[in-house]
Amino acid sequence: MSISLNPWVWIAAFLTLSMMSFLYKDNIFYKIGEHIYVGSSAAFMLIYLWYFDVKPKLIDGFINNTGFSRWILIIPAFLSLLMLMRFVRPVAWISRWAIAFTVGMGAGLGITGLLQGFLVPQIKATILPLYVSGHSTLMTIYLSLNNILLILGTLSAIVYFYFSKEHTGPVKKISQIGITFIMVAFGASFGYTVMARISLLIGRVYFLLHNWLGLV
Amino acid sequence: MKREVPLFITFITGILIIIALFIPHKPFGQLQTTFNDWLIIVGGFTMILGLDSLLLHNWEKIKRKKEGWLSAAFLIASFFITLFWGFGEGIFFHRNPFDASATFLRYFYTYIFVPLQSTMFSLLAFFIASAAYRAFRAKDPNSTLLLSAAALVMLGRVPGGQAVAPWIFAFVLLLLAYYFFNESKKTSGTQQTVYIILAIITLILIYPVFYILLHYLNGIADWIMNIPQMAAKRGIWIGISLGGIAMSLRIIFGIEKTYLR
Repeated sequence: MSISLNPWVWIAAFLTLSMMSFLYKDNIFYKIGEHIYVGSSAAFMLIYLWYFDVKPKLIDGFINNTGFSRWILIIPAFLSLLMLMRFVRPVAWISRWAIAFTVGMGAGLGITGLLQGFLVPQIKATILPLYVSGHSTLMTIYLSLNNILLILGTLSAIVYFYFSKEHTGPVKKISQIGITFIMVAFGASFGYTVMARISLLIGRVYFLLHNWLGLV
Repeated sequence: MKREVPLFITFITGILIIIALFIPHKPFGQLQTTFNDWLIIVGGFTMILGLDSLLLHNWEKIKRKKEGWLSAAFLIASFFITLFWGFGEGIFFHRNPFDASATFLRYFYTYIFVPLQSTMFSLLAFFIASAAYRAFRAKDPNSTLLLSAAALVMLGRVPGGQAVAPWIFAFVLLLLAYYFFNESKKTSGTQQTVYIILAIITLILIYPVFYILLHYLNGIADWIMNIPQMAAKRGIWIGISLGGIAMSLRIIFGIEKTYLR
């Protein structure tokens, strides 16, 4: 293996090292890399939205559909136009109509989505038997204890986040159990996040040593 | 007119989406999908508002030669280069820039976007490590739990973790025993006896902990993820859902109007 002669690999290596230079201190190379990232991400998102959302759903829909499903697309096109009215100061207030539509949609989808995707499935998954029969006594104790811990953890975590009543007496005791479960959950989530970031770092270091310098 | 019409639009849109959930027949059945498509279209145009703000802010910096104007120039240049590259692919070569054969995906995405994004996120590993040093000090039972759960999950999910973990935990227990012995020297009476008993228990625990971690570390990590972690997450999710539903109802019924400011 030898050093890469591909100019694109050199550009990628320069950008990687520019970003990593922040570990030393905030410097001009990091600032340039950071701003290139912001600028290109914004353009990337715009291109993505055009090719995967606006073009297939609005432009292609209007060209390919017939009858009612074609003409109904005038409504989102009109709302999109209203949104852009924010640039025309005398009629900027009219963009609120489009904002109101997106907020109403978000609220409606919030209720149905949270009900169907989170609340009901989570409650359903927590309604568990306290006694589970296993193939041995030890297994029975293990399975039953797991279910008891799941129910206790869920309920105590909910109590911990219940601020309408002062946390004193039994409520305080239950919320303290909740903290214990929450600490374990945060610790586990933290462990997972660290692992994900480290694997990204390993990926970048491997790129520098393998793809760029050809050392490994 | 300026406030009532938007409130009415929000109310009608929100209510229609909720009705569509309970009446899965025509004309309501398709309503959720149709509205969702509309939201995506309008959302796409909303991004133009954000871009206007981003570009104007940076253009002002360049025009007035404010601090950081050079980086602002790079931001604007990279924005337009990416934009022309992506759309140029479609206009001049009649292909989607996200096709595997497109130069946009092959060069821009692989050699510019991915290095910038993944290096930016990988930097967090260092900052997380320094944050962990502060957060994970075993100064009380809760932070000890946080530290132990994180250590067990991390070591239980990495190759070689099972071989390293028993030694790490044995060393920690040895340090703990040393700490208890040291504390016993500073105290007297019942407290001294308690410290000595704690030190002996810690020393006795070294072997079983070493044995359990050597053989069952993966199982322990799975158990942490599936039972205590899942229980707390469920509590948090249920809380988030209830809060989200309450907030959505406030918006639909016009109690929450901050978005109209």
